[in-house]
Amino acid sequence: MAEQPAIEPMHQFMVKELVHLPTFHVGGLDFNMSITNSVASMIAGAALLILFFGLTARGQIVPNRGQALAESVYNIVDRVLVTPIIGHHGRPYIPYLLGLFCTIFVLNLMGVVLVVSNLGGVTLNFTVTSQLAITATLAILTFFSVFILGFIKHGPKFLGLFWIPGMGLIGGVLMAIIEMISYFVRPLTLALRLFGNMMGGHVVLSLFGSFVVALGIVGLSGGIGTLAFVPSALSFLMIVGLTGLELVVALLQAFVFTALATVYLNEVVNFGHGH
Amino acid sequence: MAMQSEEPGAMAAPTPGEPAAPVTHEATEQAGGHESSGLPQFDFAWWPGQILWFLIIFAVVLVFMRLFAAPKVGGTIEARDGHIAGQIADARRMKDEADAKARAAAGELAEARAKSQKLASDARAKAQADVAAQLAEEEAKLAEAGAKAEARIAKARDAAMTNVQTIAADTANAIVTHLTGSKATASELAKAGN
Repeated sequence: MAEQPAIEPMHQFMVKELVHLPTFHVGGLDFNMSITNSVASMIAGAALLILFFGLTARGQIVPNRGQALAESVYNIVDRVLVTPIIGHHGRPYIPYLLGLFCTIFVLNLMGVVLVVSNLGGVTLNFTVTSQLAITATLAILTFFSVFILGFIKHGPKFLGLFWIPGMGLIGGVLMAIIEMISYFVRPLTLALRLFGNMMGGHVVLSLFGSFVVALGIVGLSGGIGTLAFVPSALSFLMIVGLTGLELVVALLQAFVFTALATVYLNEVVNFGHGH
Repeated sequence: MAMQSEEPGAMAAPTPGEPAAPVTHEATEQAGGHESSGLPQFDFAWWPGQILWFLIIFAVVLVFMRLFAAPKVGGTIEARDGHIAGQIADARRMKDEADAKARAAAGELAEARAKSQKLASDARAKAQADVAAQLAEEEAKLAEAGAKAEARIAKARDAAMTNVQTIAADTANAIVTHLTGSKATASELAKAGN
């Protein structure tokens, strides 16, 4: 039963130091700047993005496959989100939303695709977007950038966002409180949605992976235990199916996060037009 | 979604220990022993460094998107749309020109046809007029010749009739003379002759 501790579905989320770098202290916080598996994955993801766009973003009128792919990614942000939701005034925000979408997508995707590398005993894969620290950072950064942009563009009038006209004074105040709560809960939902989706899928994948190995070992013991190969094989099939599902989730969650950011941005850019 | 319901409980476990566990790498390794009870994501020791690294890397990605990827890809798409729109506009303009030319040619053709039809009808009218004039002339000639002939015939008939009366009077005179032995008077002869 030495194999038993191997079933550690949460193990994959542990941050581990790869290259030690000094820690510095600012304002009671310890910034451990060591290159961890998390940081290495982020750097790899950013490098992949830069490599991808660097190689594929050509200015050809008739695109080749790579350029067509890059333009498809761009158009997910432009033609699917920004132009229909915000309109022409949304164009200046495309770089941020494109960066947001690509970063989340590539980090999600690395977590799914590189999951195979767990088999060699060397854990190369690490799903950065299953770290609450990262999804919360993305959510807070996006939410407060949009919120502050609202004040920069519209001044104190932007607080009118919480005022529902035609409710009377008391009803209006009550509604404003509810509106404010539902507004400021947005970064929390953004962070938890991405975090929960990415972590949940990986936990399930890891559990089924453990079943494959554990039941396979039971199957090798011979006798009646051979029957354990059946659930082991079924678990393997589950992994295949779930990996496909996780690929969809990886794209979908990146899209959902970006779509919500676009919707929030729309309230600021088209403030006073849509009400 | 099921994961989210676990979070409050999971968060409760490490939070009390977190401020007290300041946060060297060794401390987290030791804490690894009871990490199996909580989520590794709530090992707050790694948060500041991880977040700072992420902000740096995300900033690099955003600068790359702002300065290279978005303008390059978006510019290419816009240039292509412009190119296509320009070519369509060119094609439309050329089609309009061709249509105008075709209309002008059709107009010229209609004009030429009208001219030729007018020419033909003029010629026809002139020919008809000529024919009618000639016909009238000939008819006039014929009528004149007819009238002359009729006059001649009438004269001849009158002459003939006079002769016949004379002969009838002579004959009647002869008969009367023969039968009665006396000559008839000229007035009686004229009365009998009629």
